[in-house]
Amino acid sequence: MRSGLRTLAARAARGLRRLCARPASGAPAARAGSGATVFALSSGQGRCGVAVIRTSGPASGAALRSLTAPRALPPARRASLRLLSDPRSGEPLDRALVLWFPGPQSFTGEDCAEFHVHGGTAVVSGVLEALGRVPGLRPAEAGEFTRQAFAHGKLSLTEVEGLADLIHAETEAQRRQALRQLDGELGHLCHGWAETLTQALAHVEAYIDFGEDDNLEEGVLERADSQVQRLQAALSAHLQDARRGQRLRSGAHVVVAGPPNAGKSSLVNLLSRKPVSIVSPEPGTTRDVLETPVDLGGFPALLSDTAGLREGVGPVEQEGVRRARDRLEQADLLLAVLDASDLASPSSRDFLDTVVAPLGARDPREGGQRLLLVLNKRDLLAPGTPPAALPAALPAPLLLSCLTGQGLDTLLAALRTELAALCGDPGAGPPLLTRARHRHHLQACLDALRRARGSSDLALAAEALRAARAHLGHLAGGGGPEELLDVIFRDFCIGK
Amino acid sequence: MFSLRGCGRWMALSLTKQNLSLVRLSSDSAAPCTPHFDVVVIGGGHAGSEAAAAAARCGSRTLLLTHRVDTIGQMSCNPSFGGIGKGHLMREVDALDGLCSRVCDQSGVHYKVLNKCKGPAVWGLRAQIDRKLYKQNMQEEILNTPLLTVQEGAVEDLILTEPEPEHMGKCRVCGVVLMDGSTVHAESVILTTGTFLRGLVVIGLEMHPAGRLGDQPSIGLAQTLEKLGFVVGRLKTGTPPRIAKESIDFSILNKHTPDNPSVPFSFMNETVWIKPEDQLSCYLTHTNPRVDEIVLENLHLNHHIKETTRGPRYCPSIESKVLRFPNRQHQVWLEPEGLDSNLIYPQGLSVTLPAELQEKMITCIRGLEKAKIIQPGYGVQYDYLDPRQITPSLETHLVQRLFFAGQINGTTGYEEAAAQGVVAGINASLRVRRKPPFVISRTEGYIGVLIDDLTTQGTSEPYRMFTSRAEFRLSLRPDNADSRLTFRGYKEAGCVSQPRYERASLMKASLEEGLSVLKSIEFSSSQWKALIPEASISLSRNQRLSALDVLKYEQVDMELLAKAIPEPLKKYTDCRELAQRLKIEATYESALFYQQQEIKQVQQDEALQLPEDLDYLTLRDVSLSDEVREKLHFSRPQTIGAASRIPGVTPAAIVNLLRFVKTQQKRAVKAELLQTDQCLCDADKLEERQL
Repeated sequence: MRSGLRTLAARAARGLRRLCARPASGAPAARAGSGATVFALSSGQGRCGVAVIRTSGPASGAALRSLTAPRALPPARRASLRLLSDPRSGEPLDRALVLWFPGPQSFTGEDCAEFHVHGGTAVVSGVLEALGRVPGLRPAEAGEFTRQAFAHGKLSLTEVEGLADLIHAETEAQRRQALRQLDGELGHLCHGWAETLTQALAHVEAYIDFGEDDNLEEGVLERADSQVQRLQAALSAHLQDARRGQRLRSGAHVVVAGPPNAGKSSLVNLLSRKPVSIVSPEPGTTRDVLETPVDLGGFPALLSDTAGLREGVGPVEQEGVRRARDRLEQADLLLAVLDASDLASPSSRDFLDTVVAPLGARDPREGGQRLLLVLNKRDLLAPGTPPAALPAALPAPLLLSCLTGQGLDTLLAALRTELAALCGDPGAGPPLLTRARHRHHLQACLDALRRARGSSDLALAAEALRAARAHLGHLAGGGGPEELLDVIFRDFCIGK
Repeated sequence: MFSLRGCGRWMALSLTKQNLSLVRLSSDSAAPCTPHFDVVVIGGGHAGSEAAAAAARCGSRTLLLTHRVDTIGQMSCNPSFGGIGKGHLMREVDALDGLCSRVCDQSGVHYKVLNKCKGPAVWGLRAQIDRKLYKQNMQEEILNTPLLTVQEGAVEDLILTEPEPEHMGKCRVCGVVLMDGSTVHAESVILTTGTFLRGLVVIGLEMHPAGRLGDQPSIGLAQTLEKLGFVVGRLKTGTPPRIAKESIDFSILNKHTPDNPSVPFSFMNETVWIKPEDQLSCYLTHTNPRVDEIVLENLHLNHHIKETTRGPRYCPSIESKVLRFPNRQHQVWLEPEGLDSNLIYPQGLSVTLPAELQEKMITCIRGLEKAKIIQPGYGVQYDYLDPRQITPSLETHLVQRLFFAGQINGTTGYEEAAAQGVVAGINASLRVRRKPPFVISRTEGYIGVLIDDLTTQGTSEPYRMFTSRAEFRLSLRPDNADSRLTFRGYKEAGCVSQPRYERASLMKASLEEGLSVLKSIEFSSSQWKALIPEASISLSRNQRLSALDVLKYEQVDMELLAKAIPEPLKKYTDCRELAQRLKIEATYESALFYQQQEIKQVQQDEALQLPEDLDYLTLRDVSLSDEVREKLHFSRPQTIGAASRIPGVTPAAIVNLLRFVKTQQKRAVKAELLQTDQCLCDADKLEERQL
């Protein structure tokens, strides 16, 4: 029952693929314990002096020892100061407080370790990466800590009621996070790799299942092998390159969107206290997505200005509108901006109906995007007159004038509340962890590819390719048996 | 064309005295004119034969009802058994003491292990079978099975009664009505009607109702099932023409000879009935552009192909091959149908063109220029029942004690049918004895993969087994099917004979002993290198290697090891099977270590049972979306593991279900405690009274 739930949860987070997601290969530490050991950044994303990184699982002790080597495990449940260093290079990472909680007297009921490190990005990501290299450790899936606690009877059933919501919310947050990470070059790479590997695997599977009876063309295996070889080269080049530092887009993603000429760019400039976007009275001035990192009430955020959403304009602006819509998908928090004096116009109505209303109807606790409805240009309304009535289903609007600054304090307070909710949830896949996860799965995929090519038994080689594909599945999805069969029957004429 | 011979009349077909007396006994004990059986199996195809034999092996008085006794064991399509994935299924059927593997070892004319160079996990045992011998041997098996009675008759309807309150289902089957109006009472009924449910045979533009060429379809039964509310779908399949052997010029074709020595299908056999040199050969030829032309020019004369019924993704007919992969040569295997048969089966040429065009097409193929068609190819369209309506024990959700097995569940292939037949037979019997169902998990066998796929995913094309469907392929190997299933079959189902059980136990003990001896022998890598120069042992390794580690090397087998270290390894090479199995275990040892962990995890999810009477549509305490409710309601997964594999059931829904199950369990424990308290109270009262 106990670890059944854990695996179930792990599988849940993987999106219930049936094909083999297995632990990283060649992990001797995994031999000792029963289940996987997971790690995650447990403190929030807000600016903080100390960040807490937690591990849970049988390899926790080994992880703690290998980062604090050559010293022994600290006494149980007592804070001890230790120098953390990278177990491979020996390079010092941080001087930190560490805690050792042998199970079952711990939060999850398993062996747990805590690292209280200095909260800088470099330190945190250094420790996360070092943990990722400890054999038997992997980044936690959405809600995994809570689920382990549940599995070990550390949570009551009433506490667990929130668990499904939490998993849903975290999965959603991770999906958005992954979407952001997969947006652009890296995404193209990942999907390309996944596609190549699916094809190579499908062809090997076809060779196993149909190679003797049906006429697959000559050289199926050789082609698959050279595909795998190229993939190996691409992955290791990427991993070496990424080590030099990949720009992190940290913080909550706040996207400002609305119909043209509602004052979105003015709001962005106001919030970032610098002229990020060109502002003009002409609709359609902003055509691309402009992003700027800002600090909103102590929370790091990435503010994106987008093109006004409207149909039937020139190709350049159309592209801007398309990009704006893409960015809307990735937002954690949407600032929907409308002209308070122009709520009846077709573009305003359309925006309210198609973007604001569907979002407003969703429960943000389920991990959906959050929304603030801002009515700008209140200075244009005659004093004392409310703006035109909005449909009752919409959230209460915040009145603002970017010109006079009236209403800004209320907006900032509202922003703080929303960001606190967004960033306060440590499990919500912060970018640092996303990146650690990314590296972890790419490395594991690469290891599996190496095993596949080194194996003389084709069934073993295929097994390694399945494991490799499962690791890419964590980043790009797909790879289930039905998808493989689709490729097989698409590429080969398989008779009865 | 169709014989009603013996319909409704008792046939003393059983050859053993014991069996005859049992029939009489059963009719004495029941109502005078209505015979009574534990299990009634409808259909004598591959699923039906295995089901009937399995139920009887489990100790149930069983009746097999078939249109014609002389079609039992008929191979109505290809003259071969086994293959990749399918051979795996046959080894598992054999591990449960099923019939088809043993019968194939007595009836084959060309034995060959496929994939011999790709690793033992994917070896595919296959044989060309003599149709006549197979039928003969299968009928002898069936008619000699104790407790099994065979009767000819067509079933028109099911007799239904009130359901048992402790199980789900809106009614319970308690017998069948035959075409002549007579009835048979049954505790359990297994339906294995193959393609007979509203079957339709198609050649060119001609269509006529038939289960297979020459046999009439079951229409009454199809209507009954539909009335009961079963969701019905339609599938199609086809078969190639049969060609006269003497009209083929084999001298210009590629000859393929059988293996020497032959590898038997059954764990019980050391060898097959026929020597390799007496076996027949197969021949390979190819289609050419002229075949494409004939197919494409005549599509308008091809009703089977014109139909928009969703076809399978793979290409079962030459028409679909030409349409989907034009301008290519397609393989045609010319397979013998038997030792003294004058028929050749052109595997790969399933076709539904009008008969005269079939001949025209065939004669443009190399080697077949003068070929004579003895029986044209044809297509069959038939009803199948959405398999999400049955449990992993193959009992229907709607009707208690009614089981489905074989093509009726949307599968194709003899082996897939046989596998379901064994499971249905065992479970129908267990159900009568009120024992828990015998369910094979996807971690235990291809049979488990097959049934789990069907019951959780359903199917929209004839379902065929591939090894790529099995996520635990390295564990589910042909060599170890006995250790996976024979012990469970013996202990839980009682379907395994004593000799087989003992043989499997002996093998298991020898394997375990052999592995531990191999692990205990340790030398340094340079010592090993000196002992076995053939192995590419790298000397850079400083650690000591065990004999098991060395056995992992491709070049090393038990013979070689035993030559280097005769004592104590020599004795493990005396039995060829044991030596080979030790080598296979060594090959996969490290990969299996990781797979074992995953298997354990899946099994843990499968140990979490969902209550069978859960009404997902009205369930209040669980927050589930309507879509998820619909899906759970339709498939009725029995475990959390199965629920998680249903497409569209979200992780959050699974956690909610899990919480519900946990709460229920707690409540059940409380209720039990209360009840015990109550009992104690009652007991106290009783004592008072006595006092």
